[in-house]
Amino acid sequence: MKKYLFLFLWALLGCQQQQASQGTKKMAIIVSTLNNPWFVFLAEKAAAKAQSLGYETKIFDSQNNTALETDHFENAIVSGYQAILFNPTDSDGSVSNVLKAKDAGIPVFCMDREVNNPAAATAQILSDSFSGSVAIASYFVKQLHKKGKYVEILGLVGDNNTWARSKGFHSVVDNYPQLEMVAQQSADFDRNKAMEVMESILQAHPNIDAVFCGNDAMAMGAYQALAGVGKAKQVKVFGFDGADDVVTAIKDGKITATGMQFPQTMAEMAAVFADQYLKGKRDFAQKIPVAVELVNAATIEDYTAFGKK
Amino acid sequence: MTISLTKEKLYKLQSLIALLVLCTAISLLSDKFLTLANGWNVLRQISVNICISVGMTLIVLTAGIDLSVGSVLALAGAVAAGLLKNGIALEGLNLFVGFTLLGALLAGLLVGGLLGWLNGWVVTQCKVPPFVATLAMLTMARGFTMLWTKGFPISNLGANFDYLGTGWLLGVPVPVWISAWVVGIAWLLTSKTPLGRYIYAIGGNESAARLSGINIHRAKRIVYTIGGVLAALGGLMVTARLDSAQPNAGTGYELDAIAAVVIGGTSLSGGRGSIWGTVLGAIIIGVLNNGLVLLNVSPFWQQVVKGLVILLAVMIDRMNAKND
Repeated sequence: MKKYLFLFLWALLGCQQQQASQGTKKMAIIVSTLNNPWFVFLAEKAAAKAQSLGYETKIFDSQNNTALETDHFENAIVSGYQAILFNPTDSDGSVSNVLKAKDAGIPVFCMDREVNNPAAATAQILSDSFSGSVAIASYFVKQLHKKGKYVEILGLVGDNNTWARSKGFHSVVDNYPQLEMVAQQSADFDRNKAMEVMESILQAHPNIDAVFCGNDAMAMGAYQALAGVGKAKQVKVFGFDGADDVVTAIKDGKITATGMQFPQTMAEMAAVFADQYLKGKRDFAQKIPVAVELVNAATIEDYTAFGKK
Repeated sequence: MTISLTKEKLYKLQSLIALLVLCTAISLLSDKFLTLANGWNVLRQISVNICISVGMTLIVLTAGIDLSVGSVLALAGAVAAGLLKNGIALEGLNLFVGFTLLGALLAGLLVGGLLGWLNGWVVTQCKVPPFVATLAMLTMARGFTMLWTKGFPISNLGANFDYLGTGWLLGVPVPVWISAWVVGIAWLLTSKTPLGRYIYAIGGNESAARLSGINIHRAKRIVYTIGGVLAALGGLMVTARLDSAQPNAGTGYELDAIAAVVIGGTSLSGGRGSIWGTVLGAIIIGVLNNGLVLLNVSPFWQQVVKGLVILLAVMIDRMNAKND
């Protein structure tokens, strides 16, 4: 019996070896973090698309750590991945990693965030955070009738998305002198911190008209703080991302608007591009912006979490 | 005699004095600080940290440390939320088990206790230093949380669950009740029970404690288990407060807990310190967080200020320890 089992295993191993020698097609998916549903969704959609195109995939989690990302690139290069679908931890810090892959002849396709070197990645499919927050800001101004007091809750202060969103927002809102920002605080993209920060801000500024949050988790936290003191009806809350909870909250009239990003579109486009590259295509646009769409109660029916219906 | 007595009293009161100075300073700068509503805010916000820090105090008193509390908190919250919302399907047995609210809460606490016990087991049986053992648990428990939630929050848990984090009882927020009970029980444990004496003895001098017949391994396992249960309790409160179990909940909470313990005058080398000190430490951190936001201090500066306060507290503590 044991002998047969041994033979069976041997045969199985033999098969696998043969397959490997034929050259399995593999794509590596390296994402900045899996500690956030948005990036989990991005990574899973990229993997699903690559698999449907006939590739084996592996997801690497850089844990927001550029040094760990370097290790992942080295491992991916050594283990023979033919393409890398990449979501960088840092627009400057990640450049050398991408160049390393390029030197090894492996194409890199950036998703959502860019690296600041046009010669590094084969193509970059980018979420347009800046113009997305400009769209939110225009709606924000309209909703407040160009005047009132508001609070801004920032994401992680060391994250470039935090500032892209904040700058886009202020590029519009700061043109209206009667819109006064009474507090600007960070809540690290975290729902609980946003709730606590908002509770404290409400003590200092009980009469505000709106809150702009750098992501949807914080928008939910801010909303809960407002609901806790019975002010959810008077204060308009704006988020960014298009996460599940906020899509529901916009339907229920709890949150005013969010910027819907399209992680699935970006992820699938990156996988398709990589496939095309490996089949010989070489002319890719360096940067492909993917719009961030304003979603409010009027348009919410067309959308679902992280995308269009 | 009188001099040493006043000195000792001052030493015991140092955290309280620091808190009073801090409160006075903030209330001079903002008239919104000393209000009843803000007081409840601060107390409600620190109740999670108090639960965790009380457990951390017991562990630190034995000269140990628990870095896994934040991840254990996230896992316990996620387990309770997931079981309450979706139940669990045992596919092999073709069986579906639904959970009542109480069942889900107990399951969350059980998970915390189990992981805490594992920490204690690894520390005592495998002789792994607590720092390393609980660091490993920090990573593993976060991984289990991701596996359990698949990386997505579990939301909309119902008003009954949320009561634990957002409700009021006799004019006091429910989380404040819970943390007050935790503090009371832990105080009784440390000051009135044999286990309490063992904890101090182990931290003071482990060999002496062992030679005097204390089962130090058992005592340590109990202490780590309590730490795990309290982290889980904190997890249930965070989850209830947000009406959502976030997969990344509790990230960095171990640092807040250790800061509370240290600011409260508990020695990281064990044997010296108190539950009340830790409570004051947690209040100081809570007041600081609240005050910096009330004054709209830039988020960059907030981190610097918090670091300085921790440093200052430890430096004063060191000076006192030398004078003793």
